[in-house]
Amino acid sequence: MNLVKKTNTNYLIFLALLFPIMVIVDYFLIQYIVNSEVEEILLHEQQRITFHLDEEGILPTSNYLFHTVPMDESLEHLPEFRDTLLYEGYANKQIPYRTYTFSSSIDSQPVKITLKHVLLEINELIWLLFLTTSLITFLLVLGLYFINQKVYTRAWQPFFENLSKLKNYDVTQKDPVYLDGSQIKEFEELNTVITTLIDQVKKDFQNLKEFNENISHEIQTPLAIIRNKVVLLLESKNLDENELKNLEALYQQINKLSKIGKSLILISRIENQEFKRLERVDVHTIIANILSNMEEIINFKNLKVSTELQTVSIECDHILADILFTNLIKNAVQHNKDGGTLHILLTEGKFEITNTGEVSDIATEKLFQRFQKGSSAKESLGLGLAITQKICEIYGFQLDYVRNEALHTFSLFFNSDTIT
Amino acid sequence: MKILVIEDNIEMLQDIKSFLQEEGNICEIAPSYKAAQDKIGIFPYDILVVDITLPDGNGLDIIKAVKKENIDAGIVIISAKNAVGDKVLGLEIGADDYLTKPFYLAELNARIKAIYRRKVYNGSKEIHFNEIKIKPDSYEVFIHNHLLNLTKKEFDIIHFFVVNRHRLLTKEAIAEHLWGDHIEMADSYKFIYTHMANLRKKIAQKGGKDYIQSIYSVGYKFTDRE
Repeated sequence: MNLVKKTNTNYLIFLALLFPIMVIVDYFLIQYIVNSEVEEILLHEQQRITFHLDEEGILPTSNYLFHTVPMDESLEHLPEFRDTLLYEGYANKQIPYRTYTFSSSIDSQPVKITLKHVLLEINELIWLLFLTTSLITFLLVLGLYFINQKVYTRAWQPFFENLSKLKNYDVTQKDPVYLDGSQIKEFEELNTVITTLIDQVKKDFQNLKEFNENISHEIQTPLAIIRNKVVLLLESKNLDENELKNLEALYQQINKLSKIGKSLILISRIENQEFKRLERVDVHTIIANILSNMEEIINFKNLKVSTELQTVSIECDHILADILFTNLIKNAVQHNKDGGTLHILLTEGKFEITNTGEVSDIATEKLFQRFQKGSSAKESLGLGLAITQKICEIYGFQLDYVRNEALHTFSLFFNSDTIT
Repeated sequence: MKILVIEDNIEMLQDIKSFLQEEGNICEIAPSYKAAQDKIGIFPYDILVVDITLPDGNGLDIIKAVKKENIDAGIVIISAKNAVGDKVLGLEIGADDYLTKPFYLAELNARIKAIYRRKVYNGSKEIHFNEIKIKPDSYEVFIHNHLLNLTKKEFDIIHFFVVNRHRLLTKEAIAEHLWGDHIEMADSYKFIYTHMANLRKKIAQKGGKDYIQSIYSVGYKFTDRE
């Protein structure tokens, strides 16, 4: 429920409660006003009649005169007001009247004079009230709705613009976010808070990124030196077997560290969008090149490779495309079993690679995380698929993995924007 | 050949220097931009090994200056940055090759020799090692003038060996030389192991000596020394 609906609903509930109260209050109020008006008219008429009787001794003509009867001895408190219903022949129904009875004397005869005045019919009154109140309520609702709508679209305009800006915000983006100003204090405050928050997040992200990059970079030179020294040691002739073993282990761990560093640098460079060149890349050619580069290893593992390659070109960075497909094909070769099969399918919108392998116990959703490795490849770093995934993110490719027993399939769906 | 290594890390500098000197080169060092400028201005070098990030300047500027003054030296960039932009820019302004740290000294040696061969002999120079003759431009290897029938990777291996003769070449260095950075996997080591055996067999068939020594499980050495 959006804000304007919420507000309007509350208004409606309030008006719905107010409506009967308004009708009831109006009813009594109007009745009171009408009654007192009528009474005033009757009192005025009484004064006129009394005046004429005192001066001339005859009863003047009066539109309000109901009847004149001789005074009886009943214990009536005079003068008195009364409500009665009188039958009117012209309307063929009972009509409500207010009567006023007072005592006077005509020709020294004491008489009781009663004046009458027609009253509003109650039914009519209620109907009238209902109608007018409904009309007012309806106009109120209509007015409030439009005012709200206007306020919503106009006053909230900067809010929505800023919201959509924030939705599109990516902490890796270089350009700062400029939030639209507003004359409304609350929005201005919100903007200030958000801007501060973004600055802080950006700063933290930048620090973290720099830290990662620095660490990855700065370890490379010392690692190179250590590695060279270890090779020098390995070359010296007077080492016993135990020392050699230790040196070899040392050497391998240095290499591993160096590769982790390089891979992490690559990931952060992909994240930094350093590979910005967009060029026409022939996917089928890339795949053929990779396969020919790996030909010996594929033969060495006795893999049966079958390919169905259509001519497909995509728009992306050549280096990244090369890394992407190399990783996927390498993965399928590396985790394959000796004498296994490897099938590559390339169509207009999809690249699919299926390989035989071990039944991996790694959860599918964890597969693309960093440092996740299948059981078979102790040597691998578990960064290849993380890199692959990063590249896919950059270009909006979708990468799916399906495992059917010992058959592993990676499907890569190209973003339709990148297909040329 | 005469090589100048421009690199700010002294330890690294010494390693490269001693490795290249053992290869029979004259190797000089410059630990800063300023020192490099001074040396290039005075002495002629065949090869410059240039680190991009120097404490007092950018290695790319050295390359620009060298190219501007028409100094005919081969240039290898060594950088820890591995940034595509740097690589492209470096090669554009006239560097011959680009190596990312950490690199294997044997790889640097192979690259330097390849550049030197291209520059001085137009790539047509044959490489000799006793009875072995390698023609790098046509990917041919001869034993006692008999052509060896080798696969591309076998050629790469023996070429890499002969260029780095008497040196310990670790499996990792060989693998990186054969496939580059990204196709590193356990199978490549097994592959190297098998192909080393094939290579030995093929050389023996043509009457060549077995120069390939296994250094435990670390790697191999191609040498006629004991």
